Amino acid sequence: MRAPVLQVENIVTTFPGSRPGSRITACDHISFTMNEGEIVGLVGESGCGKSTLGRSIVGLERPSSGRVVFDGVDLASLSGRKLREHRRKIQYIFQDAYASLNPRQTIGQILDETLRVAGEKDARRRNSKIEMLLPQVGLSGEIAARYSRELSGGQRQRVSIARALVMEPRVLVCDEPVSALDLSIRAQVMNVFLKLSRELNVASLFIAHDLALVHQASQRILVMYLGRLMEMGDSETLYRSSRHPYTRALLSAIPDPNPRVEQSRKAIVLKGDVPSPMSPPSGCLFHTRCWMKEEKCMHDIPSLFEGENTLQRSACHFASEVPARAAGLLSGS
Amino acid sequence: MAYDQPLSRSPLLKVQSLSIALYSRASKVYAVDGLSYELEQGETLAIVGESGSGKTVSNMAPLGLMPVGVSADIRGKVLFKGEDILTCSIERLRALRGAEIGVIFQDPLSALNPARTIGRQIAEVAELHLGFSHTASEARALDLMKMVGISEPAMRMRQYPHELSGGMRQRVVIAMAIAAEPSLLLADEPTTALDVTVQAQIIRLIKDIQSRLGMAVVLITHDIGVVAGMADKLVVMYAGRVAEYGYAKQVLTRPVHPYTQALLNSLPRDTDLPGTEFRGLVGSPPSLAVRASGCAFSPRCHKAFGKCVEARPSLFDVHEGGLHTSACFASADAELEVGV
Repeated sequence: MRAPVLQVENIVTTFPGSRPGSRITACDHISFTMNEGEIVGLVGESGCGKSTLGRSIVGLERPSSGRVVFDGVDLASLSGRKLREHRRKIQYIFQDAYASLNPRQTIGQILDETLRVAGEKDARRRNSKIEMLLPQVGLSGEIAARYSRELSGGQRQRVSIARALVMEPRVLVCDEPVSALDLSIRAQVMNVFLKLSRELNVASLFIAHDLALVHQASQRILVMYLGRLMEMGDSETLYRSSRHPYTRALLSAIPDPNPRVEQSRKAIVLKGDVPSPMSPPSGCLFHTRCWMKEEKCMHDIPSLFEGENTLQRSACHFASEVPARAAGLLSGS
Repeated sequence: MAYDQPLSRSPLLKVQSLSIALYSRASKVYAVDGLSYELEQGETLAIVGESGSGKTVSNMAPLGLMPVGVSADIRGKVLFKGEDILTCSIERLRALRGAEIGVIFQDPLSALNPARTIGRQIAEVAELHLGFSHTASEARALDLMKMVGISEPAMRMRQYPHELSGGMRQRVVIAMAIAAEPSLLLADEPTTALDVTVQAQIIRLIKDIQSRLGMAVVLITHDIGVVAGMADKLVVMYAGRVAEYGYAKQVLTRPVHPYTQALLNSLPRDTDLPGTEFRGLVGSPPSLAVRASGCAFSPRCHKAFGKCVEARPSLFDVHEGGLHTSACFASADAELEVGV
């Protein structure tokens, strides 16, 4: 069993609402752990709080309560240099690599500067470090002389991963790192994440909305809706036998590339849009769009941590009925 | 239009050898090169390709829809109901757009006027293209909003775009595009900006409206799943040229061009277990500022051989007489071998 490198405990992050004094809860008591070298997928639709959760972990947002424990140390208990040293080991990869790379510096200069900030004073050692870093993300050394505008989207994203690796991170928080890339070049970047997990034992929180992609990349998956975790579990179990109606709808939205199958298959199509986080629904947050909704769901908030199944946790009052109900719906009976 | 030919015999839209070069002050780009396809009434044709493959430009430039500061050199023919829209006047183009040809843009927020109510924006289309009075067009707007599934339409009529969710905004844009009951709808990435659960709703909506109004749809997308769910015909573009063209069922289940094959191969499959390597392509799409002497895909193609670097392949018939063409020397040879 690998040791947990990151423990997220009851994180609550809120933002000011449009009315004076009101607050929007972007992350509502989120808890999970990440083991060394593990890729954990975090899925949900826009506005569900998945980016805020990622930003809260790296310290770009300040949670109003809860703890982020890295390597056994509560980050909130640290300050100054100690905090910075720990924070360096948790790196953030942005969706838009273009905007996060200085257009007036060559890739070599960008990496050199990052190494200098990291405390490497010897220019020759910095150089050899850069020569080591680029192949790790599948780039050749000649990239160092180029500017970011001369690179393709996939190359740019790999440069930003290389830059994050300068700090020798133990955890990467990757916010939709391949969403802006064309399908045919996504694999180039995805395989870098797999390699880092395997060879450098780097753990990654992989934030995305594409459940098929996340399933293939991750060992575990977290599903978020309107700031709360709906389901979490082992990737394969959740993908094959999800016990939450929302996850089932997300799985159902994965298209089949064969037109004959796609145009005849039954799907769980949710009604309406995600409700506004400014006036979240009562009870289960998903009840306004749920295809299994019952009276209870409108009043009682289902807990993620009830029941004995620890491999797969579902915040649904009717979790155990979900697989059969979904199968019935999709087969048309 | 010739009177001796019944309308149903000629396709609704016929694009012939369309080539578009784009000029800005600083650069020249060969965006589209020799694009041809046909579309019948009520059919859906999808155009897929990577960003920068020319799929949007090929549809927007002929309608005179271009970014500011860019001029286009357009060659070939775009015959809409027999009329070449490349040679018609700006006034005629303006009349066609909105009335006969509806357009759905990728980003609904930038396609809407932030300072006017959505009811007014939909009503305006009916006023402009159908000559409706103010009251009649308001009533028409209300009907359209019901048709595209906007809840509480009477109240929403008076709302502004910023008050609506992304899915609702896209419905408004669709309502505007179909307000004059066009016979052709151009949809440029209509679901890209939307959440996955809302995407399915919008695709159902477009299909439903299409069958009710008998519209033809040109769908520009990079999402194979959307193609599989909607398209009758499919054009696969690479670097401004057609790589493969045919019925979607055929192209998606029996792709011939190595690029189409690689694209489909890159999709995660149900059988891919967690932690397994992702399939994809090496390299990246070429720059369109220089015209390649050979096949633009050859640097990334595992089937490429000498000829592919020297000459550009033209489209060959995959099946004798059927509608399925591919621009590839390697697969042409392979097909010939099979034939022998």
